[in-house]
Amino acid sequence: MRISMGNRLLSVLSASTALILMAGSADAKTVVTMMHQGDPGWVKAYGDVAKRFEEANPDVDIELIYAPHDAYNEKFSAAVMSKQLPDIMELDAPFLANYVWSGYLQPIKPLVDKDLLDDMTESNIAQGTYPIDKDLYAIGLTDSSVVLYGNKKYLEAIGARIPKGVDDAWTREEFEGYLDKLSKLDGVKWPIDTFRGYGIKTEWITYAYGPLLESAGCDLIDRKTWVAGGTLDSETCVKAMTMMQDWVKKGWVVPTSSGTNQFYAEGQPAALAMGGHWFYAEASAAMKDNIVVMPLPKIGEKGVSPNGTWIWGISATAKNPEIAGKFVSFLLKDKEYRDYAKSQSAFPGLKSFAADSPLYAEGGPLAVAFEQASKTAVARPPHPAYPTLTSAFMQAVDKIFNGSDAQEALTTAAQKIDEDIEDNAGYPPFDEQQ
Amino acid sequence: MTVENMSAPRPAPGAKRPGRRRDRQRFWQELGMIGPAVVLMAVFLIAPFLLSFWTAMTNQPLVPRPTPVRFVGLLNFQRIFSDPLFWTSLWNVTRFTIWVIPVQCGLAFLTALLLHQKLPMRNLLRGMFFLPAITSMVVVCVIWGTLFQYPSGPLNQIVGFLSGGTIQPIDWLGDPNWAMFSIVLLSAWQAYGFQMIIYLAGLQGIPDELYDAARIDGAGPLRRFWHVTMPGLRPTHVFVLVITTIQAFKLYTQVAILTQGGPRESTETVVHYMVRSGFAEQKLGYASAVSVILFVIVLVIALLQRQLLRRFDV
Repeated sequence: MRISMGNRLLSVLSASTALILMAGSADAKTVVTMMHQGDPGWVKAYGDVAKRFEEANPDVDIELIYAPHDAYNEKFSAAVMSKQLPDIMELDAPFLANYVWSGYLQPIKPLVDKDLLDDMTESNIAQGTYPIDKDLYAIGLTDSSVVLYGNKKYLEAIGARIPKGVDDAWTREEFEGYLDKLSKLDGVKWPIDTFRGYGIKTEWITYAYGPLLESAGCDLIDRKTWVAGGTLDSETCVKAMTMMQDWVKKGWVVPTSSGTNQFYAEGQPAALAMGGHWFYAEASAAMKDNIVVMPLPKIGEKGVSPNGTWIWGISATAKNPEIAGKFVSFLLKDKEYRDYAKSQSAFPGLKSFAADSPLYAEGGPLAVAFEQASKTAVARPPHPAYPTLTSAFMQAVDKIFNGSDAQEALTTAAQKIDEDIEDNAGYPPFDEQQ
Repeated sequence: MTVENMSAPRPAPGAKRPGRRRDRQRFWQELGMIGPAVVLMAVFLIAPFLLSFWTAMTNQPLVPRPTPVRFVGLLNFQRIFSDPLFWTSLWNVTRFTIWVIPVQCGLAFLTALLLHQKLPMRNLLRGMFFLPAITSMVVVCVIWGTLFQYPSGPLNQIVGFLSGGTIQPIDWLGDPNWAMFSIVLLSAWQAYGFQMIIYLAGLQGIPDELYDAARIDGAGPLRRFWHVTMPGLRPTHVFVLVITTIQAFKLYTQVAILTQGGPRESTETVVHYMVRSGFAEQKLGYASAVSVILFVIVLVIALLQRQLLRRFDV
């Protein structure tokens, strides 16, 4: 017994010596850091891809840095301040203009595989392109959209017209009429969930509610002069926000504190859900075929839907941009990562991934979301003032939904945005862009 | 005095008096002892504070930007004072302070009185009552966030049960009229343990002789409480009031986790406003100006309360 103990001790000792020796050689490994966000499933998927990449490239070490979704931009700033910018960073598409303008990103075209570049959908290219030099700075496997999910039983009960495609989306009159009817229907506690449950300080607000303003005929900011005053607080926007405020006042909208699952929770208390494409996976798992996917309603003349999602960029300070690019290419082509994305009803941003996603194909349940991307998608304003813009708009929406005067709230927001642009001397060269 | 002088050896002319030398020696010793603390304070407290004064007068962004940093004078202050949200946030922390002090200190005082009695397993009970105070505020917020759920969270079920269903479920964190009150509830619950310990110490500091004397004089429990316990706790009361006020003015964590300042700005606080402008909107200069204002406010309160302390002759 004692001998074996001694032996074991010896083997432990020799093993640790070996480890120390190996550590010496591990210094030669190239470390590539990657900052990302995501739910636990995605985090695991990235970890697995990194492991596979390390197996294929034993001289590279991929270091993953997780930052939570709602505080991502703050964490990112902290990394910039401490000069610890990751080599690869996941970024939310509307923030791209700010990051490129600030000099954090480098053009990604020379760094990733060419077949991937050719594989990108138009919307994917748009979300990764910086409007000033028209160069590509980020690439993603996915894109996104928001659709209107409906509870089939409830909609049949009120005799609602189910749109076949984007072109015959509900008009505002139809939409509000159905909301009213649904509010009186037995079993329906709330006619619609607009996912206020995501919180009041989340990109969802600008992402999902901005298109309603654009559909009504106004915008978050004038995209030619880059002035928010006169646009965000115009009569059209005020009317559109007042319309949403009315829905809340009438008790039609699932409140913030009731979570994000009222559409499919027991008893299915919410009849409609204005939700992201990612919501389909969880909703359809619970509701089976009692779910219809419809395009976003037209508030004004034209339908508008959001796009853009979390994509991958390579930082300007990356020590090994080629290896970083190699990993990004590896990630986007990784079959298991794609399989996981599919299981989350991910919206394809690469043509090959679209061909492989029956959900979004002709006749698939989310085909209408894919149709929206090519017909009605409008990107969030690609301007470096976006962090302030979105923060100010979130603030305004929270006030309006809780009963403040829409005109006053939007004017305050517009002032805040214009003040920021002024403080940064118009974010040159954006001030010259007309 | 004279006797001492007579017996002491007369110092040689020109030589320094030994007392002086000893004084100087002691000066260096003392300096050596407080030196490290002074250096640390200077580097980590005073210098950043002075820097923030300077930053407050520039348009310094959070992260380096291609546009130059300019001196803007008092522009940031002017903007802060003309931003209704700042005044809302100031009003909100005042409201919070006014509500949380009686709830938190009252709770602390009552539990301290209870735990000062000769109860069985007194130390275990003290530990149990102190538990929330050593639990991280973040954890407490997540737990209370679940309790506050609307419409069928545990708290609403209790309210519904106790009222026999006559009280409709309350949207604790989602209703502008309730949100701050809910934050007060959970804050007081989390933090009262600290004040409780201070009250316990205060209670233990009252000499038993006073109680004995009062008893001999024929004072009942109530009169002993009013005429012995309360006056004996006067300095404790003032101290607890001061620290609770300063703590309350710095309200941030609960708001950041549970309400993010909403709904309708009803829980926006000065610190949350500062963090929002500094991090989300990346205006470091502006945020520094807010921090300077907050400092002045807290300083004024602290000075006022010091006056109060003086009056109580502590």
